[in-house]
Amino acid sequence: MSGQLRYDAVVIGGGTAGMVAGARLAEGGARVCVLAKGVGSTHLAPGTIDVLGYAPERVAAPLAALGDFVAARPDHPYALLGADAVAESAHWFQSRVESGPLPGYRYVGDLERNRLFPTAVGALRPSALVPETMAHGDGDSLERVCVVGSRALRDFHPALCAANLGRAGIAARWVEAEIEVIKADQNALGLARRFDDPAWRAAFAGRLALKLQADESIGLPAMLGIRDPHSAWSDLERRLGRPVFEIPTLPPSVPGMRLYEILRVALRRAGGRLVLGAEVVSAERAGSRVTSVATRAAGHDAVYAAPWFVFAAGGFSSGAIELDSDWVTRDRVLGLPLRGVPGPGEPRFLPEYLAEQPMSRVGVAVDAQLRAEGADNVVVAGAALPGAISWREGSGEGIALASGSRAAQLVLSAGGARAEAA
Amino acid sequence: MATLSTDVLVIGGGATGAGVAWDASLRGYDVVLVDRADLAEGTSGRFHGLLHSGGRYAVKDPHAATECVQENRIVRNIAADCIEDVGGFFVTTPYDDPAYADRFAKGCRDTGVDCEEIDPAVALREEPRLNPGISRVFRVPDGNIDVWKTVWAMARGAQQRGARILPYHEVVAIHRNGDVITGARVRGHATGEELDIEARVTVNASGAWAGRVADLAGIEGVRILPGRGIMIAMNHRLVNTCVNRCQMPSDGDIIVPIHTVCIIGTTDEHTDDPDDHTVLQEEVDAMLDDGEKLVPGFRQARALRVWTGVRPLFEDAKALDTDTRDVTRAHAVLDHAERDGVTGFVTITGGKLTTFRLMAEDTMAAVSRHLGDERPCTTKTEPLPGSEGHATYMLAERLERKEKNLVDEQIICDCELVPRWKLEESIRRRATTNLDDIRRLLRLGMGPCQGGFCIYRATGILHGLDGLSAEQADKSLLEFLEERWRGTWPILYGDQLRQTRFDEWIFQGVLDVEHLPLPQPEAVAT
Repeated sequence: MSGQLRYDAVVIGGGTAGMVAGARLAEGGARVCVLAKGVGSTHLAPGTIDVLGYAPERVAAPLAALGDFVAARPDHPYALLGADAVAESAHWFQSRVESGPLPGYRYVGDLERNRLFPTAVGALRPSALVPETMAHGDGDSLERVCVVGSRALRDFHPALCAANLGRAGIAARWVEAEIEVIKADQNALGLARRFDDPAWRAAFAGRLALKLQADESIGLPAMLGIRDPHSAWSDLERRLGRPVFEIPTLPPSVPGMRLYEILRVALRRAGGRLVLGAEVVSAERAGSRVTSVATRAAGHDAVYAAPWFVFAAGGFSSGAIELDSDWVTRDRVLGLPLRGVPGPGEPRFLPEYLAEQPMSRVGVAVDAQLRAEGADNVVVAGAALPGAISWREGSGEGIALASGSRAAQLVLSAGGARAEAA
Repeated sequence: MATLSTDVLVIGGGATGAGVAWDASLRGYDVVLVDRADLAEGTSGRFHGLLHSGGRYAVKDPHAATECVQENRIVRNIAADCIEDVGGFFVTTPYDDPAYADRFAKGCRDTGVDCEEIDPAVALREEPRLNPGISRVFRVPDGNIDVWKTVWAMARGAQQRGARILPYHEVVAIHRNGDVITGARVRGHATGEELDIEARVTVNASGAWAGRVADLAGIEGVRILPGRGIMIAMNHRLVNTCVNRCQMPSDGDIIVPIHTVCIIGTTDEHTDDPDDHTVLQEEVDAMLDDGEKLVPGFRQARALRVWTGVRPLFEDAKALDTDTRDVTRAHAVLDHAERDGVTGFVTITGGKLTTFRLMAEDTMAAVSRHLGDERPCTTKTEPLPGSEGHATYMLAERLERKEKNLVDEQIICDCELVPRWKLEESIRRRATTNLDDIRRLLRLGMGPCQGGFCIYRATGILHGLDGLSAEQADKSLLEFLEERWRGTWPILYGDQLRQTRFDEWIFQGVLDVEHLPLPQPEAVAT
């Protein structure tokens, strides 16, 4: 057992909310450590910034819609966060993208209006901010499109995507690009690494150009570079002489991994520490305060003490919240009280897959300051918050950014962190 | 209306019906087989996959045990490719009456079940997850059998001999001319079109639904007592041997390892409706508790799915002497010429999967009498297509193939190692747009992620073949999602709930399948 490591604040969880909280705490002068069992939903989600896509009808103006939305759903995280916090955190995020590790890479759009972007199955999905590499997929301005796939990539099927876009009134066709593979089970990440190579993508563009028709935009699976996507994408646009846009694939999500890298660098530049592979396995308490948490990583157990903890460990999807085989729901990390759990005798799930599942809104019970019930120095952020069904609402990043930012702000303004640091 | 004419019409495409079609075509008869759904979608496809050694019946039902002993040996030989020789244990756990073990051993001797008592320490070395408190262990030749593979092998073999296999063709009427059954009218689900099938003999092999089919023929008193049982598939093989509790057969007392999973079964609740697929919370809870008794820590493993099957327990309301034997696992061939004075109609029901071949043979004996043309049965020795080598299936076959083809073979279903070429071949051969049909053939989507990755991929491939419309492809995707969910939601906890949340992110978050373009309204005739 190593000695105790002391920080001003410890963030549990390395998804978007945890990384935002960590980076902003560090930027505010706190000595901060982010403990993450693994990476979060960044590697799964499309890499867009979704504030509110469905409520449950498709939302046109996400920021403006939040007021009515929370009036109808007072238990929703947005009711605690408010539209201003969402706007502020999105602004912060944009600036960190611009000063981030991916030269020239930007997010495009605003929170005033959702735009519709094609998914890999050819549905049109609302997002507020998207990577520039996706921006030309905006369904409203898309007239003629050629969806390009490759047999090498099993996680993207251009014919189906194009056919469904056609059903939505977009003139869409598809072609297959030839990509040599080293092994058959290629995913988007493997191909993205090759798009980082200028010579490789020049050859790719040369072959693809032969198959294209005049005046059509090009939709490609989201694999246009992982280290330098701006160059990969803009180079492809230039070589093909037309708009090119990415369409998210099945996981791993290349745009999501870029987003993670941006947040990771923001955290590190501000002096924050990130420990991956560090699952929190126990916690010490003193009354209503958590005093330290212990992690178990390969061959190295450690104890982290801090006056403040940000709980951004996620919900069921990360394993932070568990429903066990005796039908008991619990926070496995800190044992915090939960909210939104269906009562005894109430259904947990419903027989229709696309119905709203009663178990979907479970999260850690918090007060108006996002503080966990029964743990005065634990602030909750991201998917651990109760009340949202982010994958259906299209609200995950909005909640993560705003709550991660708010958590940092609450800890910093409480003064605890700075006092400890002094 | 289109018509077909045949020697033998088989109603019901489970293991029994497919077995009858296979047997009849080997005897040189012309055969048509119909089922209201896919082959082996009913009772046959809804059990745990045990190929009985006979041990389970050794004390309770010696006649059934002896049948199992014989059929187990035959089926291993003729359907080798469908069977994995995992072997079986009967174990006395601390929860079992220790006195039963000696009765069991005697029952096995009396009925010919090949049974050897082994040291529990040896059993625990072979199966380290078993309850360490087991006191006695018997080794028996249990195996597992892939029913879908078996049934399709028989159907294909029959097809090669000219049989017409018509899944998704539901019987809407049975033609009766006085005391002669002359065939049936069926309706195809895909087209809605009806088809008259004229047959010299009609076989009612509809299992738990046999009473309903007999009703259509105007035959009374074929009473089926459907027994509903639940089974739960765990996400990996907690045991590699079929493990039975050494006690009178009861609920939740067997775990069968099959393919990548293991299955615990089962319960037995009477139901009036063979289409009753209710899963009760109490049944799930009890089954998980039973799992703990055999394999401590069972509840910590991932439960993938729960489903129900309906046993066709038969009681002949016409039998003069109705005793409990009529409600056993024995099968019953009803020659309606003898029983009701109606010729051209034979009912086979009851029984259990292990004896499907014998059931078919007994049925064909009655059919031959109706045809007035006795021909020998050859199913005891004729291998099913794919089993000509008589080598039993090995679990690692798919992995072995994949390792040899790392560069060329693209895997679509990672959990079950289903390659793209195999998927494409099956879609073409079945000419289906229903991914669930493909699932039964290839185990697509049956592993831990329950289709999270493969459903989109398979839909893309399905759509790419044969110019399927996007609308139809979307429908196939959504239906398969619903189908997977059906077996998932009643038993969602632990890491499988995590997995489900991940899958929800894929389908509802990344792909947004809920907001695919709506189907075009159907044109209204004016």
